[in-house]
Amino acid sequence: MKEKKEYMDLAQSAVERAKRAGAGAAEAFVSDTQSVHISVSGRQVEQVNAVQEAGIGLRLLKDQKMIFGSTNDLSASSIQSLVDDLMRKVPFHTADRFNVIPEKEDRSLERDWASYTDFITYDPQIAETAVEDKIKRALRMEAAGLEYSPKVSGATIVIYQDGTSYVYLANSNGLAGWFPSSGCWGDAEMSAAQGADHQSGSYLNAFAKYADLNPEDLGRRAAEDAVRMLGAKPIESCQVPMVVSPRVGTELFSFFAFLLSADAVQKGRSLFAGKIGTKVASASFSLVDDGRLKGGIATAPVDGEGTPRQTTPLIVDGILKSYLYDAYTARKGKTRSTGNRSRDAFDSIGGIGPTNFCLQPGRLKPEEILAGIKRGFYLTQAIGIFAGIHSASGDFSIPVAGLLIENGKLTVPVRGISIGGNLFELLKSVDKIGNDLTWIQSMGCPTFLVSSIKIGGVRQPEVR
Amino acid sequence: MTLVTRRDFLGRSTAGISSLTLSPALLELLMSTAGCSRRPAPALLDLIVPEEVLNKAVALLMAKGASFADVFIERAAFDSVSSDDKKINTSTVIEKGVGLRAVKDGKTFYAYTSSFVPEQIYSTARYVAAAASQGGGGPEGKVFTLVPQRSTLAFPVKPPPSEIAIERKIDLFKALTDRAWSADSRVVQVGQFMRESIRQVNIAASSGKIVNQALALTEFMASTHMKDKEGNLQLGFDGRAAYAGRDFFTGQNAFERIVDKSGARAKALLDAVDSPRGRFPVVLAPGDNGVLFHESCGHGMEADLVFKGSNFKDQLGKQTAAKGVTLVDDGTLPQMPGSFAFDDEGTPSERTVLIEDGVQRGYLCDQIWGARLGLKSTGNGRRESFRYPPIPRMRNTFIEKGARLPEEIISSTKRGIYVAVGGGGQIDVITGNFMMGVGEGYLIENGKMTRPIKGATLSGMGIQALKTIDLIGNDLQMFASPGRCGKVQSVPVGFGMPTVRVRGILVGGKGEAWEDKERGAL
Repeated sequence: MKEKKEYMDLAQSAVERAKRAGAGAAEAFVSDTQSVHISVSGRQVEQVNAVQEAGIGLRLLKDQKMIFGSTNDLSASSIQSLVDDLMRKVPFHTADRFNVIPEKEDRSLERDWASYTDFITYDPQIAETAVEDKIKRALRMEAAGLEYSPKVSGATIVIYQDGTSYVYLANSNGLAGWFPSSGCWGDAEMSAAQGADHQSGSYLNAFAKYADLNPEDLGRRAAEDAVRMLGAKPIESCQVPMVVSPRVGTELFSFFAFLLSADAVQKGRSLFAGKIGTKVASASFSLVDDGRLKGGIATAPVDGEGTPRQTTPLIVDGILKSYLYDAYTARKGKTRSTGNRSRDAFDSIGGIGPTNFCLQPGRLKPEEILAGIKRGFYLTQAIGIFAGIHSASGDFSIPVAGLLIENGKLTVPVRGISIGGNLFELLKSVDKIGNDLTWIQSMGCPTFLVSSIKIGGVRQPEVR
Repeated sequence: MTLVTRRDFLGRSTAGISSLTLSPALLELLMSTAGCSRRPAPALLDLIVPEEVLNKAVALLMAKGASFADVFIERAAFDSVSSDDKKINTSTVIEKGVGLRAVKDGKTFYAYTSSFVPEQIYSTARYVAAAASQGGGGPEGKVFTLVPQRSTLAFPVKPPPSEIAIERKIDLFKALTDRAWSADSRVVQVGQFMRESIRQVNIAASSGKIVNQALALTEFMASTHMKDKEGNLQLGFDGRAAYAGRDFFTGQNAFERIVDKSGARAKALLDAVDSPRGRFPVVLAPGDNGVLFHESCGHGMEADLVFKGSNFKDQLGKQTAAKGVTLVDDGTLPQMPGSFAFDDEGTPSERTVLIEDGVQRGYLCDQIWGARLGLKSTGNGRRESFRYPPIPRMRNTFIEKGARLPEEIISSTKRGIYVAVGGGGQIDVITGNFMMGVGEGYLIENGKMTRPIKGATLSGMGIQALKTIDLIGNDLQMFASPGRCGKVQSVPVGFGMPTVRVRGILVGGKGEAWEDKERGAL
């Protein structure tokens, strides 16, 4: 590990500057990130972007009023002028008795944060490997996709990206520490063609270890996703059972991370408010946020304000058990933080966010889930999920693609239809859950069955 | 030759000579930077680093055989005010950096540093040049003398944020918050957010030019959550973004109107019926529904995606839309969030006609991808910040007006939906499949707008949507959208369109299944 002691000192001294300027409490968050972003196309390098950047974010508390500011100019004069600017503005803020810079508590980590190796996702190889080697990986990813089948017609996006980040946190209540994290990503989008028919497919995943990213596998999965869609046509409007692939499942469930945040709940923005202890999902449905999952891409010893990460069961056998809390919402809700203050970098105050967020697997093989379906829809691609789900009501309609299920088997590809429903109702109609837990970045999901979904489609394949 | 004093500096910017105005934070940043060269009038702003540093950095980037190189220097301040849960807070983000790019054989090598110290800039330039050379050599020692560029375009900010005391911003937000909460007894939460950002950018390119420009963007968004007695919860949203100051937020764009609209939308959704699903006529209201054509067509016309095989590839001179449809991308419109004098590689902005009367006339080009298509840059090379190299992006994209009266378009539609306001959207450029959410919509029954609908999305194929436009209104409206467009990097963009009817779009929803019964009439 190549931590920089001067950044720990910088965080401490910024806290002292804030205290001297009159802050009641203060917190400094320094992040130092090194990353590489490589895109290739036509078996050639398209773009290499190498990045090294450090910056500081400050939270100052005075008379129950909180303010945030950040800068990537780490000179003493720049930090002092930021502190002065924030102190000048903070009196105009609204006082809130729940505003808090976390205190040390009995569960606070005692040793250096970096020494809790079980809770650290860090692979030195990611920063140490030469860029040339990473370029080769991106080229291999593209080649594997292009060579998957003669029907593959090209690659639109092939990206290798990695990052190694050191976080240094200090606050005026004596919490201080640092730890490293790292990860690498592969993202491929391929096209397939047959006559005038063009289809696309993609695959994206993140890995904690450099060695775990298999470029050929990523490229082939994207190509397979495109090729199997060749010949896709719309079907007419209907209402049928729907089997959701793990990939689309993770995208759908990412909305629950927002709806289960105590912030959304306390402010009346989530229909999960007031539902603790009640049945919100089918009996087979269990959802966990696991900030201490060994090797998880979102695993860390502490959250963005120094509270230890933890494992939090959110929904257990269909019953809502907990929300995700940071220190502010915990104080307001008279409970303990679940260690879910999330901060991506120094220039954001952050908010409540999930860590490793996972729908617990069931016992059925995916084929066994399909086997019971006479006619249904297997969902493999969705576009614009973020725009197609209304976060308040949970109502959604999403343009999708996938395969028709006929007599328990996947048959013809389908595109040009949309699914419509409601997220809260969908939770209750998750009938069967597969044993094939799949992690896509920090979201884990197995194949699952939704007993019935409304499909919007057309009788005639095309207008002209 | 005059030395610009601090007072003059402020005075001139308030007079609107340049697009720059200063927040206290940026003012400090600008004035505190060491090594600023003092330049003669009428150049208002000093370069961030001296011209000789830019010349040398470009020379270093080119020293190992690159075919093209540029230096992008930026300093920026972002001042935000937010109201959430009746609590009003502010935040300040200050950042600066130098992005260095060398291009060789169509390959881009890029790195950035957050330091303005010349030696740090040079060493990053040497690193990028070496990466691009892959062992090759170049015109070592060649001297680059770069010429400053001028533009007649300016985007003045009135009044400048620095002249608005924080007390007044807080008072404004208190009033807006009270207004939103008192709009309806069913309001359960209200949020408002404003961000004023100022960026000064210097671009020095091996083609021989230096650009020095400043951009001040003001963004405002409002959201309202309402819950009825039955426990139904709905969210309404509205917002604007403009290269302008508070002067923009008046009339149709007044803060109060935006706040009221967010409440009205939440209210309409509580009373709404589930959207029908299937393919039937969709009438799009003028203005921000232009996002539909941004997604369904605009992206597929970006030079990098054209090169990689979007469904607009090889379409120049061919019909890609119904007759009567003209699609334009214009970066010169006053105040619009996709406007600028120069793009992020120093090319002057322009009005680019993409489709003229149904025929494909152009693509959206930056230097690199334009060259690969054998086309000149159209001034569409944009980047989010110094952290990214530029790529082809849209600016303000809109459909030109037609001849029909908007009322006539609605009254001639027997059964369909009217989309008053769109939501976000996405496109898959290979298949041309796009989607757009619906923020506010209504049923059209027997030529009349009737009940509000909820849960609708529009989707389809880009070219098919363009080809099935059958009625175009005479009421073009531009919309200064608060949404940013994301394509690895996020940039502000604008939209526009007149009232338009489209026949070939799929409507998603969880209501009744409908079909297009008017098809025979087409």
